[in-house]
Amino acid sequence: MPDRNLQILMGALSVISLAACGSASDRDTQQPAFSLSDATDSGAQLALACSGCHSAASGAIVSLNGYTREALETRLLQYKSEADGTTVMHRLARGYSDDDIAEVSAALAPLGSAP
Amino acid sequence: MTSRFNRRTLIKGAAISLGLVGLPSVGLSQAKPNIVIVGGGFGGASAARLLRQLMPSASITLVEENAKYTACPFSNLVIGLGRPLDAQAFSYTGLESSGITLAYDRALDVDVTNKTVSLASGVTLPFDRLILSPGVDMRWGAIEGYSQDAAELLPHAWKAGPQTRLLREQLQAMPDGDTVIMTVPPAPYRCPPGPYERASMIAHYLKTQKPNSKLIVLDAKDSFSKMTLFQEAWAEHYPDHLEWRGAIDDGRVSRVDAATNTVSTDFETLQATVINVIPPQKTGEIADRAGVSDATGWCPIDPISFESRLQSDIHVIGDATIAAPMPKSAFSANLQAKVCAVAVARLLSDLPPQPTVLANTCYSYTTPDEAISIAGVYTNEGSSLSSIAGAGGVSPLGADKSIRAAEAAQAVHWFETITSEAFG
Repeated sequence: MPDRNLQILMGALSVISLAACGSASDRDTQQPAFSLSDATDSGAQLALACSGCHSAASGAIVSLNGYTREALETRLLQYKSEADGTTVMHRLARGYSDDDIAEVSAALAPLGSAP
Repeated sequence: MTSRFNRRTLIKGAAISLGLVGLPSVGLSQAKPNIVIVGGGFGGASAARLLRQLMPSASITLVEENAKYTACPFSNLVIGLGRPLDAQAFSYTGLESSGITLAYDRALDVDVTNKTVSLASGVTLPFDRLILSPGVDMRWGAIEGYSQDAAELLPHAWKAGPQTRLLREQLQAMPDGDTVIMTVPPAPYRCPPGPYERASMIAHYLKTQKPNSKLIVLDAKDSFSKMTLFQEAWAEHYPDHLEWRGAIDDGRVSRVDAATNTVSTDFETLQATVINVIPPQKTGEIADRAGVSDATGWCPIDPISFESRLQSDIHVIGDATIAAPMPKSAFSANLQAKVCAVAVARLLSDLPPQPTVLANTCYSYTTPDEAISIAGVYTNEGSSLSSIAGAGGVSPLGADKSIRAAEAAQAVHWFETITSEAFG
């Protein structure tokens, strides 16, 4: 089972290589999985922290595979905003800006739907 | 803030180095750079694996003395609960099969001028970038009487392996009714909550196997990681089997005697059958040789690239670094390794490293079925790592047992994930 963060970075690498001629405004457009914008680049680096706990196998810590960007972003923003939340994810999510959360969600999602 | 959104160039540059796009290798300084990594723990192994992915054409050599790595996380469960030590051992075959060269050797010295690492076997490895992940060494003699020889009688068990087994065996051999002492150093040291998880596991062992025995923890500090949570658990589970003394209660140990099995504080000398001395620590020695450690005994680093503040082209990750408020943990070492790997890949492609957000999570067991956690989130923008306000913190006090059990299960999952990420 390849590491998720490696998948993310490599995924970002290979997709960007396909889109290497894209303009700098790419990141302003919300593209679905395949056409990763450069937002994914910083998201991919943010996501390095996720793979320390989240693997492809779900268990006591859920796998992030199969979630859409929207689902991940919604859940992370929820963790961030639940003032009385005490789980590890609540405590971590409070450290990320909404932009961070959007980026890391975009980085995690496309590969999550990969076969 | 804008700097973090400028990572497009990272990927583009790396893509160029990968040869994925049909562009000339503009900005690529090395067609086949030599990357040497010293230390095959959570930091070094993780760095090697990510760099292998990011730079398929690079020569990557990991220098590690041991054929197998014995992980410290969960080793307190070996000591207190009899978890098999084999469950802590990980080989490097996964790294080798991915094209990382393993040099099962001891790194003796670093020539910073000629950019080479010399090994005990006589081999000299040239590097374009060197990543040191040397972990900790004990400061022998910082506690009077505590030497490498003394550690064979009074184990530290702060590097997992034979020392872990020795402490377990001493506890098993001890007659019921005898005393166990653990000494805890001042910060910083590897795994801030580790001594208190260990105290919990030893106290559990005594409670269930040697009910007339007791553990006395002699601490050089007056407060510690997850303190109120540990103390809550100790009051509930180990009121008769664990006594903790902070510095204010004469807990600071200045001298040990392996011949008489005694420990001396400022005002008292105590005798015990089993003495676990967790001594003050410093960076692994190779960092001193490389000239990347300072007077504190630890290694100052640029928080974005983890490049040494003292030597260019040499990066330091993991326990050896001055990265506070990030703790010296396996999680930190793994994440620092990955951030450093991206930075090294960028630097070798003539691109500047980019800031990001880092995090840490550490679980500690308080009973065989219950754990507590601490989390932190950090930015590396600025001159040093700093905690992001409002984030992080510890498990709730007074929580239901189901929350403690859930975190214990998360700890198991975390260990499986992070060892898989580091060692394949």
